[in-house]
Amino acid sequence: MIAKIQCYTLSGLEGIPVEVETDVNKGVPSYDMVGLPDTAVKESKERVRSALKNSGLLFPMNRITINFAPADLKKEGAVFDLAVAVSLLKASEQLIGADVSDIVFLGELALNGDLRPVGGLLPILISAKSHGFTRFIIPASNAKEARFLGGAEIYPAENLLGVVKHLVGVEQIEPLETAEFAACKRENTSADLKYVKGQPMARRAIEIAVAGGHNLLMVGPPGTGKTMLARCLPTIMPDLTFEEALEITKIHSVAGILGEEGIVTERPFRTPHHTATTVSMCGGGNRVVHPGEISLAHGGVLFLDELPEYKRSTLEALRQPLEDGKISVSRAGGTFTYPSRFMLCASMNPCPCGNYGSANLVCTCTPAEIRRYRRKISGPLLDRIDIQVEVDNISYDELTSGEKRESSETVRERVNIARRIQRNRFSEYKLNTNAEMGERELNEFCRLGRESEEILRRAFERMKLSARARARIIKVSRTIADLDGSEEILPKHVFEAVSYRLDEKI
Amino acid sequence: MTAYTRDECALIWLCACAGLEPKERVVLLRAAGSPSALFEKYERFLGVLPQREPPCGFDERKRQLSALLKEMAQKKRFAVTAVSEDYPEALKAASPPLVLFGEGKRELLKEKLFCIVGSRITPPWAEKFGSEIAEKLSRRFTVVTGLAEGGDLSAVRGALPSGKLICVLPCGLDECYPAAHAAIKERVREAGLLLSEYPFEEKTKKYSFHARNRILAGLCEGVLVLSAAEKSGALITANTALEYGRDVFAVPYNPGIKQGEGCNELLKKGAYVCTCAQDVFDCYGILPPEEKEIVLSPEEEKIYSLLHEEGELHAAIIAERADLPIYEATAILSSLELKGLVVKSGGNRYGCVG
Repeated sequence: MIAKIQCYTLSGLEGIPVEVETDVNKGVPSYDMVGLPDTAVKESKERVRSALKNSGLLFPMNRITINFAPADLKKEGAVFDLAVAVSLLKASEQLIGADVSDIVFLGELALNGDLRPVGGLLPILISAKSHGFTRFIIPASNAKEARFLGGAEIYPAENLLGVVKHLVGVEQIEPLETAEFAACKRENTSADLKYVKGQPMARRAIEIAVAGGHNLLMVGPPGTGKTMLARCLPTIMPDLTFEEALEITKIHSVAGILGEEGIVTERPFRTPHHTATTVSMCGGGNRVVHPGEISLAHGGVLFLDELPEYKRSTLEALRQPLEDGKISVSRAGGTFTYPSRFMLCASMNPCPCGNYGSANLVCTCTPAEIRRYRRKISGPLLDRIDIQVEVDNISYDELTSGEKRESSETVRERVNIARRIQRNRFSEYKLNTNAEMGERELNEFCRLGRESEEILRRAFERMKLSARARARIIKVSRTIADLDGSEEILPKHVFEAVSYRLDEKI
Repeated sequence: MTAYTRDECALIWLCACAGLEPKERVVLLRAAGSPSALFEKYERFLGVLPQREPPCGFDERKRQLSALLKEMAQKKRFAVTAVSEDYPEALKAASPPLVLFGEGKRELLKEKLFCIVGSRITPPWAEKFGSEIAEKLSRRFTVVTGLAEGGDLSAVRGALPSGKLICVLPCGLDECYPAAHAAIKERVREAGLLLSEYPFEEKTKKYSFHARNRILAGLCEGVLVLSAAEKSGALITANTALEYGRDVFAVPYNPGIKQGEGCNELLKKGAYVCTCAQDVFDCYGILPPEEKEIVLSPEEEKIYSLLHEEGELHAAIIAERADLPIYEATAILSSLELKGLVVKSGGNRYGCVG
């Protein structure tokens, strides 16, 4: 008898349906698997045999053929174990009366029949749902991840026997209740702007950067709190929406770094070390293409500490994803596209010795050394960083009044207001933030008064700005005006935006 | 093509083609009496020098010279020789170069010349100051400087727009040192004047900086030192200038700043203190050029006067003193910066100029 069981595999972030067909015939006992299974799939034979035996079920001693359709797609991993076991049971007539036709079976089997969790479950469920499947049997340990998928019956099973009992109607498994998504309240994180001492300029800069989705570069001597400030970035970003959370969770699920909650509730903050390879940044791998750091930072912050220390090629690889918000990784096995809309936050020292421009310490670097150091960051990359701010080591004894420290929450409220203004502005366009504006939107939403135009012209001459830098300054001015609640871009907004560009030496 | 006299041609050949040390050239000239005599009977006078390879013949010398003159005409270069009419009188003070090759505006040599130098490591504020003062001095003087990084470059930037700028190179006119400044060298060639005492392809040698500095000091009426550590090229220029009896100006520094030790040392020895262009103009009894009236808003006025009193302040302190939120203070500061009254000096500090 032939049995057909539905299963899924992953390609990038997309679930691809795979049918497991099992034919049990009379003849010399044998067990054949066809349809391009890899080693892990072939080894499922032993797991399934033991699991069946240890669950008190029968492993048929017949001529068995198992086919994975479509036959031309390579099947990888252990996600098919449950589907293979169920199809064997069905084909050997051990599941009489059970209707398995529209159920998707997912899970890896242990030798004792227990179900083990599988990676990338959420993206599979989302794809399967969009393909019209609404009933799923999944490992109970994946339940947390799956409970956010509404509009489907999802049965979390502990073991194979439980699945069988459920299918033949002896003992029903309770379907999962859909959970309400709640963004993390961030109560117990140690990063908060209220713990940052001083740095009024940098505080303002990160507020603007987050409000308008601008990329940020912090330049300053060692030990001035650049990293601390960067860690505060996620705390002032707007709360995740459910759609964003799902998208981020899909990526993290595929990468196998999903935490306890089963869904990402906090904006990611990725800090790849400067020894990171280009592949680890952008994604890759020879069999399964894993998402890279820039995709893991999707929806959050990619923090590159000591920017000039990164390999030039690695940095240059960021340019295209920074513009497009996604990356296509092409390998012989296929092309995989992962989203990568992140906010880039980078930090660097002003010169090799770190003291250039310092008030008390003397810089011992020659101009050539400084130039060489700065040249490690290419102009095109620097052009994509809208806000460049100096983080200094001013001691707060120099200020007489008690410093005012705002908490992340206060700042986040202002950011949320500015983001709302932007959402309303761009409601008819496919944009979210000012930083994403193109030439057309710039013309429409960022008209400058005569005085502001004059300021820009002067800044242009004095600072020798490129045309791209000009557009960037206007975008930042727009965000500053939004934070100010001003419809119009006023001269003071332009002036402030101009101050976030550091002089470049020829 | 500029017409050169026979003596001029002889000197040009002697400096560019003969391959002699400067001292040897002087010895030969003295022996021959006149440059043209030396050129014609070069073989005979070469005897006064210690042993060397036999010289090329008269015809060969003439061929070399005409090739050189042709090249100079092609590259729009000229040579000012010790016997030329417009050879700078001031330069004759000590060990004058027999020939200066130039490219650009030759007439600048007749102007009043003032030299600005600074070492390669010059603090950012001093670079800004150098640019500002070079810009102002260039309205009454022609600014003379090198083409090195740091102080020299800041003076170049300031004087370049007016075109009243002479850069003396430590290498041939075909070369550029440092190589990174090729673009700016090109701009000086177009707007101002490049000078060099070396044959065109001559590379920079260790001693050529010293030699160049003597020309800098020799050409000018005065020298302003923007920055100089205890041992630096800028200081050598200043000391040479003192030897030649030129006025030396120095920018005062806080004690303990290495890049300013040389400047402070010069001041101790009696150099003029220079904190603005007026200091230089006063010394030469020159009326200052008229300043453009700059209109400031009340807030700008407030912050500007604050900086004027304190010199250099951190943006956060400025904001606090002016009782403004930090972002408004930075906006006003960047407005003042665009008006050229304030400079960023790194580490979010702002300084006052002008």
